[in-house]
Amino acid sequence: MYSVLLWLALILYFVGIVLTVPSVMKHRPSLPSSALAALGAGLVLHAASLAARAVQLHRLPVIDVQSALSFFAFLVTLAFFLVYLRYRINVLGIFMLPLVFVLTLFSALRPGPSFQSMAFRSGWLMVHISSIMLGYVGFFLTFVAAVMYLIQEGQLKSKNPQQTYYRLPSLELCDQLYFRSLKFGLPFLTVGILTGFVWAARTWHGHWELDPKILAALITWLIYLFLFSARLSGTWPGRLSAYVAIVGFAAIMVTFVGISFVSGWHGYIPRLGKAP
Amino acid sequence: MGINHRTAPVEVRERMSIPESRLREAISDLVHRDGIREGLILSTCNRVEVFASVQDHVPPEPLIRKFLADHHQCNLAEYEDHFYYHRQQDAIEHLFRVASSLDSMIVGEPQILGQLKQAYSAAREVGALNGTLNEISLQALAVARKVRRKTEIGASAVSVSYAAVELARKIFGDLTGKTILVVGAGKMSEIAARNLIRSGAGSILVANRTYDRAVELANAFHGKAIRFEQMLDHVEKADIVICSTAAPHYVIHRHHAEQWLAARKNRPMFFVDISVPRNIDPAVNELDNAFVYDIDDLGQVVEANKKQREREAVWAEEIIQQEVQRAMRRLASREIVPTIVALEQRLETIRENELERYRGRLSALTPQQREAVDALTHGILNKILHGPITELKSGVGRPEQSSLVSMVRKMFGVAE
Repeated sequence: MYSVLLWLALILYFVGIVLTVPSVMKHRPSLPSSALAALGAGLVLHAASLAARAVQLHRLPVIDVQSALSFFAFLVTLAFFLVYLRYRINVLGIFMLPLVFVLTLFSALRPGPSFQSMAFRSGWLMVHISSIMLGYVGFFLTFVAAVMYLIQEGQLKSKNPQQTYYRLPSLELCDQLYFRSLKFGLPFLTVGILTGFVWAARTWHGHWELDPKILAALITWLIYLFLFSARLSGTWPGRLSAYVAIVGFAAIMVTFVGISFVSGWHGYIPRLGKAP
Repeated sequence: MGINHRTAPVEVRERMSIPESRLREAISDLVHRDGIREGLILSTCNRVEVFASVQDHVPPEPLIRKFLADHHQCNLAEYEDHFYYHRQQDAIEHLFRVASSLDSMIVGEPQILGQLKQAYSAAREVGALNGTLNEISLQALAVARKVRRKTEIGASAVSVSYAAVELARKIFGDLTGKTILVVGAGKMSEIAARNLIRSGAGSILVANRTYDRAVELANAFHGKAIRFEQMLDHVEKADIVICSTAAPHYVIHRHHAEQWLAARKNRPMFFVDISVPRNIDPAVNELDNAFVYDIDDLGQVVEANKKQREREAVWAEEIIQQEVQRAMRRLASREIVPTIVALEQRLETIRENELERYRGRLSALTPQQREAVDALTHGILNKILHGPITELKSGVGRPEQSSLVSMVRKMFGVAE
């Protein structure tokens, strides 16, 4: 059931993206309502797919890489809608939606091995996972804002505006989006990491080691903490902040996907089921 | 029929122009001529155009030429090379393009729409628009608004002083509450400052060698004058600095800008240097969050904006083509509607006459049977009509339409 819904959502996302591209190319003042309708319907079906899986599993439907990506893609689409409705930045569709499509496709193609563990039903763990995901969505927006900022800044410095100059929002708006998404992401990542520690302490009573994923998450957290304080005090120029935000997102990608294959506890692989 | 900035030099356009004061009289003269049904005259500094709808089978060109020659009391043959003529679809397309500012000297300039509106209301006032041309004119105004709404043809600045405002918007987004520092109270900086204020910028500071002149300009903008010697201490408050002094050397150096940016906690600064020789060290542009544009840079942006408008014009042309097709279909379907009505009436008359002829022989029928006969004859008519009507409708807008119409009329004996 959830798989069918996911495929339908994927098709609607695809239609939405296809409808979005020409309006950005043609530099129309707003996205066509057909694109928004397709994306909105896709979002609803995606939510239904996640809900169906949640009912089936009796827990947050995040149990392996594929399902985690699906959940993340859902949150990114939701964020796209919220940000688009607030700021009306057309190009956001071009920056955000292809990722949604790729992630959803990946998770639809391979439903992944399913496993059950009593430990994974813990409330702490659900808070841990969803907080971290929300944090990542925030930082993805920070990343997008940083990229838009860098391109637009380059255009303004070059004094020879190209196509992108007309389509991208003002530096001020990029900066606003950058800071707001940072302020959104950081508390969630913090809560996510803390609840992770609490859950680990309660489950394993202190008998746990620092695995690569936890280490990577801590490094990511430090990067964003730096960014936040730098932006707050205004000590870093916009360009440097933007570059660091891109590095920060790369760190997230490493933490989220890369280390899943080497990490012990966070590997999303069935042998975890045999854990104490 | 018309002339414009591409086909005729200003002397000819002057000679042919019809001033606002004589416009109504001229239109009235035009439409009272034999053969002309409706008329619209658009006379601006870049074009003089006469639109007319004429009675069937009357060639319109000689009529309009005669009108212009009479109106200007001249021999039009002298100017013949400058005129262009469009008919039917081409004329509609031309009007739509003119209204949408695609035919303007500066593509996307907004005045033409207002001028067309004036021309339209003048023609309406004298009763010169009441049919097809009226409808096409109204559609032209609607098309122009649609083009404005759906493309950004008029969005980017094509003058240097507005280019500065636009760049400021690309940096600061909303200009509300932003502070402007004007260094050197010359005419150029005054214009630039006025544009920024109009676009919502907040407070203004003026520094000038002659303090009195600074005070004068500051008062004009409800701003604050500062002494030239203290100017450098105030710059950090300013988001936008407009510099235009007669100084033959740099007034603002890189190390100044470095200090200000640090004091501003890296909030961006936009420097507009409209003085020649330049007053702001171009090296300031190398600093993060500082953007320096001199007069040539602004010119370059204007050039890019013009290109951008041309790209937008391509999308606008698409919209116009769609609208022209729509107008043509509407006009064509208007041509077939009378034929369909006439056809239906013709067959209905035949049916009624025949029923009348057989009235005596049908008198024995019960009311139900009479109804059945009525329904039967109706049914036969509708079946017969179905073919030709479908054919007529499907021919709308195609080249064979008028021959189809006359063929159907002949076949069913419906008068033209």
